[in-house]
Amino acid sequence: MRTRLAIVLCVASVAASGRALAHHSFAAEFDETKPVKLTGVVTKVEWANPHIWFFMDVKGADGAVANWGFEMGSPNALLRAGWKRDSMKTGDVVLIEGSRARDNSNNGNAHKVVLANTGQQLFSGRPGGQ
Amino acid sequence: MRIRYVTAWRGGMLAAALVCATGGTALAQWLSLPIPGTPRTADGQPNLKAPAPRTADGKPDLSGIWRAESYRWVQNLLPDGVAAPMLPWAAELYKRRVETHGYDVPMTWCMPHGVPDAMLVNGHPFKIIQTPNVMIHLYEEFHKYRQIHTDGRLLPVDPDPNWYGYSVGRWEGETFVVDTAGFKEGSWLDNQGHPHTEALRTTERFRRVDFGYMELEVTIDDPKAYSRPWTSATIRFFVQPDTELLEHLCDNNRDLERLLKIWGDGPITGRQ
Repeated sequence: MRTRLAIVLCVASVAASGRALAHHSFAAEFDETKPVKLTGVVTKVEWANPHIWFFMDVKGADGAVANWGFEMGSPNALLRAGWKRDSMKTGDVVLIEGSRARDNSNNGNAHKVVLANTGQQLFSGRPGGQ
Repeated sequence: MRIRYVTAWRGGMLAAALVCATGGTALAQWLSLPIPGTPRTADGQPNLKAPAPRTADGKPDLSGIWRAESYRWVQNLLPDGVAAPMLPWAAELYKRRVETHGYDVPMTWCMPHGVPDAMLVNGHPFKIIQTPNVMIHLYEEFHKYRQIHTDGRLLPVDPDPNWYGYSVGRWEGETFVVDTAGFKEGSWLDNQGHPHTEALRTTERFRRVDFGYMELEVTIDDPKAYSRPWTSATIRFFVQPDTELLEHLCDNNRDLERLLKIWGDGPITGRQ
């Protein structure tokens, strides 16, 4: 409980800092008018600067599986927001909300990540141009 | 009014910092540890309202880890509602940079912010180390540093142009004044893309109000880009107590390829 409260408050402090997490313009690469909301199985987590990327297999309505990639803030920002490098692991089922890349590829920027098995929200905040 | 706002903000940040400091990641990283020399309240917490520390010769000591209060100034240096007096070529370039959401912004290539915006990247704090003859800035973003010489030397007359230029500092009462010249083109003054040329000279005026708070105003003088010198908004920094900078090397830049594709082919292209 205490940990969850800490994460919520830390997230609030990061969110209060605004569009503060990216090393490029958010709007240049991602389109806020193309929201994505997906559930999938994490296949890879790249915990590295300047941005964390994670990849997940998403099963479509037709049963076909597509691999999506999502960017988040820097490891530094996520550490300060209460994440650890193993907060999200390969094999975890996660629900994400974000914005799709402007090239319409299966990539996006995740501003919300929820672990399906616990309901724990790991992150909420919109990385922005820095 | 502003003082009340600042106080409330500080309170909020302190609370958030304390919560973060007690988070599960604190011990494994150097995110949270007591730093010697930090003034403390009776309950052991950093006393952000304590007087600004001073060096042996009585000058204010700006040393500490600082973070801009807001993302606002790295985005746009100018005060609200004020436009920079750009010459036509600069205005045209600026307009294109804004319309393309930062076409060619150096950070996309993992090149750092420059003077003054390296200090304003509020996603990454920076550290000041003040010594008798040089003040050192350590920028967390991209793991960079800058030197401001305080040994009485003059600015070089015909310097080889540098990304951060050449900086000398002096005290005017309680204000630390930094003059910088010898810039190379390439850096932007802010993320919206106010440009500069090699003729740029900056004057930064730092004032540490108390242990926890510092202000900065920057004057931009570049007659080849602007019709007259202009001064930034007053930029506010808050000390980040009992923590350390983290490593930030650009070892996984997945964005560049996609951004070049978007800028080159997409509807927001600015490439000519």
